[in-house]
Amino acid sequence: MEIMTNDNWLLTVGTFLPLVGVLVMLFIPKAEEQLLKTVAVITAGATLAVGILTLFRFDYGQAEKLQFFVDVTWIEVIRSNYTIGLDGISLPLYFLSMVVTFLVIIYTWDNMPDAGNPKSFLILMLVLQVGMAGTFVAQDLILFFVFFEVVLLPMYFMIGVWGGEHRQYASLKFFLYTMFGSAFMLVAFLALFFQTGAESFSFMHLVSAGGLISNEVQVWIFAGMFLGFAVKVPMFPFHTWLPDAHTQAPTQGSVILAAILLKLGTYGFVRIAIPMLPEGARAWAPVIAILAVIGIIYGALGCLAQTDMKRLIAFSSVAHMGFVMLGISTLTTLGINAALFGMVAHGLITGMLFFVAGSVKHRYHTLEISRLSGMLKQMPRMGWILGFAAMASLGLPGLAGFWGEFPAILAAYSPGFGLNVTLFRTLMVIAAVGTVLAAAYLLWLYQRTAFGEPSPEFSGQTPHPVGAGVNADHHADHHDEIRDVTPIEWIAWTPFLVAIVVFGVYPQLMFGVMDPAVSELVARLGESLNP
Amino acid sequence: MLAAIEPTTTWYLLLGAVLFGLGSVGLLVRRNPLVMFMSIELMLNAVNISFVALAVRFGDISGQTAVFFVMVVAAAEVVVGLGIIVSIMRRRPGATADDLAELKG
Amino acid sequence: MIFAGSQSVIAQINQWVAPTIDWHALAPELVLIVGINLVLFIDLSLGAAKKWAMATLTGLVFLAAFIPVVTLAVIGDASREMFDGRYVVDGYSLILKAIFLLAAYVLVLMSQNELEEGGYYQGEFYVLMMCSVLGMVMMTSARDLIAIFVALELLSIPAYMMAAWRKRDSRSNEAGVKYYLLGVFASAVLLYGMSFLYGTTGSTKLTDIGASLVDGDLLGLQVLAVVFVLGGLAFKISAVPFHSWAPDTYEGAPTPVTAFLSVASKAAGFVALMSIVMLALAPANSVVRPMLWVLAALTMTVGNVMALRQTNIVRMLAYSSVSQGGFILMPLVVIGTGNAGDSVLRAVIVYLLIYAFMNLGAFSIVIAVARRTRSGEITSFGGLFGYAPGLAVLMTIFMASLAGIPPLGGWIAKFNVFKTVLDAGDTAAYVLALIGAVNTVIAAAYYMRVLRQVWMAPAPDGDVSPIKVPSSIQAALAITAVGTVLLGVLPGLVLRFGDITDLTGALAR
Repeated sequence: MEIMTNDNWLLTVGTFLPLVGVLVMLFIPKAEEQLLKTVAVITAGATLAVGILTLFRFDYGQAEKLQFFVDVTWIEVIRSNYTIGLDGISLPLYFLSMVVTFLVIIYTWDNMPDAGNPKSFLILMLVLQVGMAGTFVAQDLILFFVFFEVVLLPMYFMIGVWGGEHRQYASLKFFLYTMFGSAFMLVAFLALFFQTGAESFSFMHLVSAGGLISNEVQVWIFAGMFLGFAVKVPMFPFHTWLPDAHTQAPTQGSVILAAILLKLGTYGFVRIAIPMLPEGARAWAPVIAILAVIGIIYGALGCLAQTDMKRLIAFSSVAHMGFVMLGISTLTTLGINAALFGMVAHGLITGMLFFVAGSVKHRYHTLEISRLSGMLKQMPRMGWILGFAAMASLGLPGLAGFWGEFPAILAAYSPGFGLNVTLFRTLMVIAAVGTVLAAAYLLWLYQRTAFGEPSPEFSGQTPHPVGAGVNADHHADHHDEIRDVTPIEWIAWTPFLVAIVVFGVYPQLMFGVMDPAVSELVARLGESLNP
Repeated sequence: MLAAIEPTTTWYLLLGAVLFGLGSVGLLVRRNPLVMFMSIELMLNAVNISFVALAVRFGDISGQTAVFFVMVVAAAEVVVGLGIIVSIMRRRPGATADDLAELKG
Repeated sequence: MIFAGSQSVIAQINQWVAPTIDWHALAPELVLIVGINLVLFIDLSLGAAKKWAMATLTGLVFLAAFIPVVTLAVIGDASREMFDGRYVVDGYSLILKAIFLLAAYVLVLMSQNELEEGGYYQGEFYVLMMCSVLGMVMMTSARDLIAIFVALELLSIPAYMMAAWRKRDSRSNEAGVKYYLLGVFASAVLLYGMSFLYGTTGSTKLTDIGASLVDGDLLGLQVLAVVFVLGGLAFKISAVPFHSWAPDTYEGAPTPVTAFLSVASKAAGFVALMSIVMLALAPANSVVRPMLWVLAALTMTVGNVMALRQTNIVRMLAYSSVSQGGFILMPLVVIGTGNAGDSVLRAVIVYLLIYAFMNLGAFSIVIAVARRTRSGEITSFGGLFGYAPGLAVLMTIFMASLAGIPPLGGWIAKFNVFKTVLDAGDTAAYVLALIGAVNTVIAAAYYMRVLRQVWMAPAPDGDVSPIKVPSSIQAALAITAVGTVLLGVLPGLVLRFGDITDLTGALAR
C-alpha cells in the first residue's frame, strides 16, 4: 500500500473539528437554544466544508493509495501510532458521515425530540461525528478501535434519553451487544498483533504480515473479528438489537445509525478482517454468505410482519445489509465494489426513509401502519418523497439502491478464490427472491400509508359529532399540525434525494473512486491465496 | 528412656500445625466474637512456634526476629480488635457473629 | 542436634553492624512519620472549632512527602538498596509511592466534609489514615517477608478502626468487626505460609527465596507455603473466594473510608502480591500460575455477577472493585512466560493508577450526591442529569472508564492487561483473555445501569434543586477526572513508567 503525504492536516482537522464546536457549546448556557443550534450547524458546516475540500484535494487518479497520510507516534510502548489516511474505499464513507451529520443537525433545528435539551443532544451528535469520521480514516488498529468505540456512548444516550417508550431497554441492548462484539474483537486484534510478531498495529504492516500466519490461527482470529463486526453490521443471528434501537431512537439517531454506524461493521470487514486474514476470510466466506442470505430473507419476512413503520424500515436494513455482506463474501472486485456502493446507497435511502418516518411520527404521533393512510392526499409532497425512497430502497434501476444489490447478486454467480460455486449460486437465487420480497413489503407499506383516503382520525372530520362551530376549531387544530414538508425538511432532505438520483443514473461517479482501491485489495488477496 | 527421644524440628512443626488447625476450626465454628478472636491469636502463636523452630534449625536469626514482629503486631491487633468488639458488645450485649447480619447481599 | 545452631545465633548478634542508611531514599517515609506526630500533637492542642485545619494539614503532609519522591525520581538512575537489599527504593517503588500519596491526597479532599459534618473525630482519623498510608509507602519498598508483613499490618490495623469509625452506628461496627476478624485471619494464614517459605529456603529476603525455589522440584512444604501466602494475600485484595468481607465492610464503613479501602488498601495488597510473586515465587510457576489463574477468573466473574444484582451504589461499587481486582490479577498469571516480566509490572501498575483515579472519582460523586439525597440506592441518582449536569457528566466519565470504554483511562488499563496476557500466547492465556472479554461486557451492564438512572430516570423524590458541591470535593473530582481522561487519550504519559527493569533485573539475578 503506497502512501501520499500531501495536505496531511486535512484529515485531522476534518475529524476533530466538531470537538471545537463541542468546546464552545459547553460554555453556552442551556437556555440559549437558538445560539446552541447555530453553533452546532456552523461546526457541522465547517466540518463538511473541510470534507468538500478533501474531495477536491483527493487525487482520483491514485485512489488506491492512502492519501493525506499522517503517522505520528502515539503510544510508543504498545507500538500504536496515530496513523490516518484516506483511500478510495474510505473516502465515500468519510464524506457521507460529514454530510449526514450536517443534514441531521439542520433537521434538528425545528424537529427537536420531545425530551428537549438541545445542548446535550447536539454535543452528543458532534462527538458521534468525531468517532464516525475517525473510524474511516484510522490506519492503526488501536486507533480504529478507539474511534469505533467512541460512537458507543453518544448513541447510547441518544437512544436512551431522547428515544421512544422503551428507550431504556433498547439503548442497553444496543450497548451490550456492541460491547460484546468489541470485547472479542479486541482480543482478536491483540492475537493478530502478537501472531504477526508484535511489531506494529498499523494496517499496512498487518496487511502484509497477516497473510503469513498459519491458516488455522487465521480462522480463529477471524472468528473474533467476525463477532465484533457482525454485531455492528448487524448480521443475522446478532441483529436483534437493531429493530429495537431503530424503533426507539429519535429520528436523528435512527438516521445516523442507519446511514453511518451500521457501515462501521461492513467497513471493518473490508478494511481489516479480509485483507489482514486472507485465509481466514476464505474459510469464513461461505458462513458469511449463508448468514447474509438468511438475513436477506429473514429481514424481508420480518418486514412483512411489522405493524410499525419504523420497525419495518429497521428490518429492511437487516435485509439490505445482507446484500452488502453477500457482496463482501464473494471476495471479488465486483462483489466488494457492490458492497461499498450498497453501503453508501443504503445510508442515503434508509436515512431518507427514517427521516420521513420521523416527520410522519411528528405529525401523526403514531407510526402504526394500520392507522395511517392517504398521505398522498393529506400531504402530497411527503407522500411522493416516501414513494421515491421506497422505490429506491427496493432496488429500482436508475436509483442508487439498484447498484448495491444487483452487482452483489451478480458477483455471487462467480465467487473468487475457489469458493464453492454451487453454494454461492444457490444463495444468489435465494437473494434474488429476496429482492422480490423487498418489492412486496415496500409496496405494501406505501400502499397502506400513502394511498386511499386520509384516515378520519387525523383528517379532523368525524371524531367530533358536535356542532359545526366546534368542529371548525378542531379542524383548524389538526390541519395546523399535519402540514406538508417544511422548508427545514426540504433543506435537510434535498441532498439525499439528489444523491439517490445522481448515483442511480451515474454510478460510475462512486465506482470510479472505489474501484482502484478495491482492485488492489483483491489483487493482494490473490497474492496470498493463489501464490 | 524418655531422654533418648530427642524432639526434632518436625515435632515443633506438627505442634504448630495442630495449633493452627485448632485456631482455624475455632474461628469457623465458634460464634462469639471474643472466642473467634482468641482462635486467631492461637493461629498467630502457631506461626511463632514454626518460625522459632525453623530459625533454630537453620541457626539463623531472622526467623526469631520475625517472631518479635509478630508478637508486637499481635499486641497491636488485640488493642484494636478488643476496642471494636467491645463497642459492639456495648450496643448489643451477647451478640454473636450470626447476629451481625445487617449487611448482606 | 537441633540446638546446634544456637551458638551461631549469638555469634550473629555479636557480628551485628549498624546498617548504612540512605536518608534521602527514606525521606518520604520520614516526612510522613514527622507529619503523623505533628498532626497528633497539633490536634491535642486545637479547639473543636478549629479541627477543620487537620484535613488541610494532612493534605500538606502528603504533598510534602511527594517532594522527595519527585527528587528521587529525578536524580535516581540506580536503585538505592538498604539493609542488604531488603528495603529498596527503585523506579518501581517510586511510582507506587507516588500513586499512594496522590490517592491519599485525593482521599483527604473527599473525607473533609463528611467528617466535619458527621461530627467524627477528625484529628485521630487523619492520624490513622497517615499511618496506613505510611504502611503503603513502605510496602512499595519492602523486599523481605518481615518487612512486607510489618507494612501490611501497619496499613491494615488503622484501616480496621477507620471502617468502624461511626462508632454509634451498628452497621459501621459490623463493617469494622468483619473486616477485622477476616483481616487478622488472613494475616495469620499469610504468616504461616511465610514461616514455611522461610523454613524451606532459609531466608526471609525475597530474592534469596526466589533463588532457592526450583520449579519442578518443589518440596511439599513449599507448595503449601505458596498456597498459604497467596491465600492470605487474596484476602487483602478481596479475591474470590476470599472476598466475603469486602461488600459488607464497604457498605457499612463511612463512604470515604470505603474509597480508601477499595483503592489504596487494595492497591497495597496488590503491591505485596506483586513483589512476592515476581521476586520470590516466580520459580514456583507450576503452583503460582494455576492458582492465580483460578483466582483471577473467579474474582472477575463472581464479582461481576454479584454486582449485577446490587441496588445499593456503594455495594455495587464494592463488587465492581472485586471484579476489577480480577482484572488486575490477570497479568500476574502470565509471569515467567516469554518476555512478560516487564509488561506484567507495567500492566498492573498502570491499572492501579488508573483504577485509583476512576474509582476515587466515582466515590467522590457518590459522596457529593449522597450529601443531598441521603441515600445509597442506585435509584437515588435518578434525574441527576437534569439538576446537576456537571456531576452527571463526570459520573458518566467514571462509569464509562470503569467499564473500559475508549478513550477513557479504564480502557487503556484493560487493554494493557489483555495485551500482556495474550503475549504469553498459550491456551490458558487465551481462555483467560476470553473470560475477561465476556466479563467486560457483564461489567458494562451494571455500570450502564447507573448511567441509565443518571440520564434517563426522573428524580425519585422530585427534588431537583441543584446540588452544592463543597470545594474540596470539587478539587477531588477535578483531579480524578483529568487523570481519567488524560491517561486515556495520552496513555504514553504513564506507560513509560512501566519500564522498570530493577525489579525484573533482581529476578534474573
